[in-house]
Amino acid sequence: MLRKEINDLLTQTDPGTAMGDMFRQYWIPALLTSELPENDCDPVRVKLLGERLIAFRDTHGRLGLIDEFCAHRGVSLWFGRNEEGGLRCPYHGWKFDHTGQCVEVPSEAPESGFCEKIKLQGYPLVQIGDVLWTHMGDKDNRPEMPEWEFAMVPAAQTFTSKRWQESNWLQAMEGGIDSSHVSFLHSGGLNTDPLFKGAKGNAYNLADKKPVFEVVESDGGLFIGARRNAEDGKFYWRITPWVMPSFSMVPPRGDHPVHGHFWIPIDDENCMAWSYDYHPTRALTSEERQAMMDGHGVHCEYVPGTFQPLQNKYNDYMMDRAAQRRGDTYSGVKGIAIQDGSLQESMGPIIDRTKENLVSTDNGIIMARHRLRKAVTALRDKGITPPGTVISHQKVRSVAKVLAPDASFAEACVDDLKVRAGQKQTSV
Amino acid sequence: METQVHPTLLGSCAKAATAAEAQFRVNYPNSKTRSTRIFALDYKAAEVLHKISEAPWNGAHFLTVEPGKDGEDPTDATALRLSHPGGEPADFFDEINHADVIVLISCETHATGTAEAIAKEAYARKIMIAGLALAAGESQNAVNEVVASLRPYASVLVVAQDNDFVPAMLSALRA
Repeated sequence: MLRKEINDLLTQTDPGTAMGDMFRQYWIPALLTSELPENDCDPVRVKLLGERLIAFRDTHGRLGLIDEFCAHRGVSLWFGRNEEGGLRCPYHGWKFDHTGQCVEVPSEAPESGFCEKIKLQGYPLVQIGDVLWTHMGDKDNRPEMPEWEFAMVPAAQTFTSKRWQESNWLQAMEGGIDSSHVSFLHSGGLNTDPLFKGAKGNAYNLADKKPVFEVVESDGGLFIGARRNAEDGKFYWRITPWVMPSFSMVPPRGDHPVHGHFWIPIDDENCMAWSYDYHPTRALTSEERQAMMDGHGVHCEYVPGTFQPLQNKYNDYMMDRAAQRRGDTYSGVKGIAIQDGSLQESMGPIIDRTKENLVSTDNGIIMARHRLRKAVTALRDKGITPPGTVISHQKVRSVAKVLAPDASFAEACVDDLKVRAGQKQTSV
Repeated sequence: METQVHPTLLGSCAKAATAAEAQFRVNYPNSKTRSTRIFALDYKAAEVLHKISEAPWNGAHFLTVEPGKDGEDPTDATALRLSHPGGEPADFFDEINHADVIVLISCETHATGTAEAIAKEAYARKIMIAGLALAAGESQNAVNEVVASLRPYASVLVVAQDNDFVPAMLSALRA
C-alpha cells in the first residue's frame, strides 16, 4: 500500500514535477541509433517525460533533439525538411539547427539578427552503443556520460530493442525487480525460449517456487537476491541489481547473453520499455541475434513499422487459452516481454497503489519505492543529486550462483556483482 | 475439455485498461485488518520501534523481547519475556496466536536464540517471518552477523541503511 500523495510523487514526471526533475538528472535512452541511420534522414518524433520533441541527424552528422513545434506558428517539425545543416519548417521556411537555434527566417533580412533571438528548447543527443542518450536537465549540472556495460561492449556483443508500453513507468519498473513472479508468469518460457533454455539454473527455478528473498541497498539502488534450494543443502541465488531510477539487469542463465531493462516515461500513462541483451566477452551468435530480432527473450515482435508490440491490448495480446490450459504459457500470452507488459497494462494507466495488498516478499518493491521517495525529496528539498548518476553506480552486473547455505550473497558475490572487463558474467 | 474458441481482436483489454474505466472498479475494502506482530530483538531495535509506535497503525503490536536471564535457554519460547512500548508485559503465546504476519527487527547479534524461538512457533503456525536488519551506524561485520542470525528464519530479509524504512515497510504491509 502506498499513500496517494506518494504514488503521485513517484509516478508524475512531466516538467515541473519532483520525479520529473529527478529523471532529468540522468542520461536516459531516447532513441535507437538505427532510428537516425544517416545524415539528413527523416526526423523522428520522440516524447520523453511529457515533452514532445523531434530528433534528427543533420547534414554534418550532428544529432539534435529539439522541441517538436516551430516557434513561428506551432507547426510540427515532423513535416520538416532535414537539409543543409538543419531542420526547416515547411510552412514558412524557418530553419533550426541541432541545438534548436533558429538559423534562418526567410521573411526577415539576415542582417536584422531576428533569427538569433529565436531558439527552441534543445537537448543533447549522444550515441553510446546502439542507443542515443539525452540529458533533459540543467546543462550546467550534467553528469558524466553513462557507462552501462551493455552499451560499452563492442557492437557485435550487444543488441537493444524498445517497445511502447501503455502504462506508467513505475508499475513497469516494479515488475522488473519482482523476482517472485518468474516462477509463475514466465515458467513456460524457461525450457523453450532459445535465449533461456538449457541453463542448469532453470531447473532450480522450476523446482522451487517459494524463493526466499534478501534485499540489500547498494550505492546506486538495490541488490535483490532470490534464493532457491540447490543440491547438498546449498542455495541457488539469483541477484538482480536495480539502479535508480529505472535500470535493472536480470540474472543470467548459463552462457546466454545477459539482459535487462530501462523504463523511461513517455508521459504519465505511457513508457518505453528498453530491453538490452549483451555478452561481456563474446560476440552474439547469429542465432542469438536473430532470436532477439524475432522477439524472443525479453524482446518482442512489432506491428510493422512501429514500436508497438504485435501482441497488444487492442488484440487482447493474442490471448491463447488453449496454450494456457496446456501449460505452454502460464497466462495464455506468448513471450516474456508481453507476458509482463500485458499484466502491467491491465492494472490501468497508473495503478492505484492505495488498494494493493503487499506481502513480505514484495520487500524489493517496497525498498525501491522508499529509496526513490527519499532521493526525489532530497533533490526537491535540498538539491542533493540522486544515486545512479555517477559511473561507479552503473558498473554493476547481475549474478546467478550456487552458494553455501550460510553464505551472504552480498559478501560472497562482491566481485561478481561488479563489471569486470574481459571476464564473463557469473552464471549457472 | 472442449476447446472454446473466441475471436481475438475484440480489444476488450484496450477498453478495460483506460483511465476512464478505472472509475468503475468496484470500490470496497478488499482485505481485512492484518495482525502484524513486530518483535524488536534488542534494545536498539526497540528504540526505533518506540519512536513510531504512536502512529496510527492497523492493529500492529510493537513488542520488545527482554534479554533472557542467565541459565535460560534462549530458544525456549516459554521463557520469552515481552513488553509493549509503554513497558507493560505481553504474553508471547497470546501475541503469536493472534498473528498473521511477523516482523523481526534487529541491530545486534545476541538475539539469535530469541529469533529461533519465535521462528519455531511461527513455523508451527505457518506464519511468514520478515527479517529486518538495521544497519544505520553499525559496522559491516556487525550487519553481516545480524543478517546471518536472521537468515535461517526469515522468508524475506532486508538490510536497511536508514531507520525510516521501518515505518515505510510496515505501512506498505498494512501493519
